[in-house]
Amino acid sequence: MSQRNLEIQSLRLKRPTNRFLRFNFLGLLILLVAAWTHLDIPWPELFSSRRIENLQRFVHDIYPYDLRDQPFSFTGFWQWFTKIWSEKGFAATQTTFSMSVVAIILAGGTAMMFVLPASRNVASPEPFLPASQKPQLRRHWPWKMLVAFVRGLFIVARAIPEYIWAFLLIALLGPGAWPAILALAIHNFGILGKLGAEVVENIDPTTPRALRGQGLSRLQIGIVALFPMSLSKWLLFFFYRWETCIREATVLGMLGIVSLGFWTRESRARDWYDEMLLFILLGAMLVLVGDFVSTVTRRWIRRA
Amino acid sequence: MRPLTRIFGLRSRVLLGILIAGGWAAWQLQLDFHELLPSNRWDTARDFFHAALSPAIVYEDPTPPGTQPLLAKVAKGIWQTICFAMTAISMAIVGGVLLGFLSSSAWWEDDPVRDTNWLRQLLRNLINPTIVWLTRTFVVLIRSIHELLWAILFLSAMGLNTLTAILAIAVPYTGYFAKVFSEIIDETPRDAAYAIRELGGSPFNVFFFGLLPRALPDITAYACYRFECALRSSAVMGFFGIPTIGYYLRPAFDEQHFHEVWTYLYALILLIVIVDRWSDLLRRRITQ
Repeated sequence: MSQRNLEIQSLRLKRPTNRFLRFNFLGLLILLVAAWTHLDIPWPELFSSRRIENLQRFVHDIYPYDLRDQPFSFTGFWQWFTKIWSEKGFAATQTTFSMSVVAIILAGGTAMMFVLPASRNVASPEPFLPASQKPQLRRHWPWKMLVAFVRGLFIVARAIPEYIWAFLLIALLGPGAWPAILALAIHNFGILGKLGAEVVENIDPTTPRALRGQGLSRLQIGIVALFPMSLSKWLLFFFYRWETCIREATVLGMLGIVSLGFWTRESRARDWYDEMLLFILLGAMLVLVGDFVSTVTRRWIRRA
Repeated sequence: MRPLTRIFGLRSRVLLGILIAGGWAAWQLQLDFHELLPSNRWDTARDFFHAALSPAIVYEDPTPPGTQPLLAKVAKGIWQTICFAMTAISMAIVGGVLLGFLSSSAWWEDDPVRDTNWLRQLLRNLINPTIVWLTRTFVVLIRSIHELLWAILFLSAMGLNTLTAILAIAVPYTGYFAKVFSEIIDETPRDAAYAIRELGGSPFNVFFFGLLPRALPDITAYACYRFECALRSSAVMGFFGIPTIGYYLRPAFDEQHFHEVWTYLYALILLIVIVDRWSDLLRRRITQ
């Protein structure tokens, strides 16, 4: 081996390694192989004649019904589209959109109320100031319990997916828009609460420290300093979560609220695949519009 | 008189806009706050939340001999949930890296030394922007369709099986990964990449040895977060007949076995909490 290669070899041996990461990487690899082998995927059956026929039928059926067996005309397509749009599409799109807006406002508003007790720098016996005496355990643990409780609330809210929340709430509240809205709101409450508390914890402590020195209470500091200082970042997270809210709202209708998801399920049940595809694409368009509005607003806020 | 824009700052105007939108949306939906009270369903609601204090360890109803014990069923559901999330994420990462590579503007940049060749100029000025634009459009489209809608599409086209469920999660997640990976890569410092290019590396070399390794910590952090989301999506797939945790949760709730429902919910919460803690730990070690 040449001198150069030896040098490279010795450099390679000297590079920093992390046993924790290697161990985890190996573990992940084993888990991955286990997962792929555990789910036995029926590869040969995938291309069976029955499936191919099914696929051909599907491809035939997604073509607009009114235009089948005749040459394509744009006016015919437009008539087909406007008929579905005015009968179901418009109202469903509007409902989906409104659900996401109400849900994210509920989520943001409630999360804001829970942010202060979830931030470790506020929920402590001596917020922002160096302790005047040695910290006593009995003064610390009630605050720690409070933080743990609120953060536990956030975790439970966000660990359960929106769809399952909606499924549970429909049985408790009856059909209507509320179960879907609350499901979206609860899940996003957990996420916005966690993100919001992290913003407050990372705030530069100079201003709140000065205010605390003047004898302000935690709530007063929160209103005059922490709220205005973290509002921009909260708004960024708010709009980011609103995008995902719209996306989720397009499927929650499948549980019975008359929105895009509802008509998607209905048209699938009747084997009207052309309509089904249209509703799915309408949902995608709505998501795109939401993404666009959110991106523009976020850029606007960031620039300010 | 001062103009309104002076009195209200930009953020106040955004807040005001949000409130107006909320009022409009609530009016559109004809929301009635009285409906929030479960009125005649009080008993169900009380039973359900009361059951949260005592999740079931064994079945609530007597079962025929030979039935799988409840906890074994929970464990099986959780394991299946992990399996589907894991396979889908691994597919999505591979697809995301490839599409992210194509949709990142960094992979074919100005190279004054070699761009004298007309073929290279054509490639840089016409073909590359076209490919980037096409992939970005494709990525946006697959991302904006929800995984459950993908599931329905695959269900109608190919019928229900293991692979379609994996694909339903993997396709939109590929879109997410491609978007975020290309953004991360576009923001990665270019020094190593330029050095490799000076040594004569191809765009492939530049991307996989100059850019990707430096972007790896951010990519890992995002992949961990997405894995958590994939677990939730995989749990919901159970409602469509895939044997993940949702598959067992649904009948238990329909039969009003609320204690069993809470066992499933607690198992799911525990799983998410463990993954959350673990990815926090991993992220901290990587950025060290």
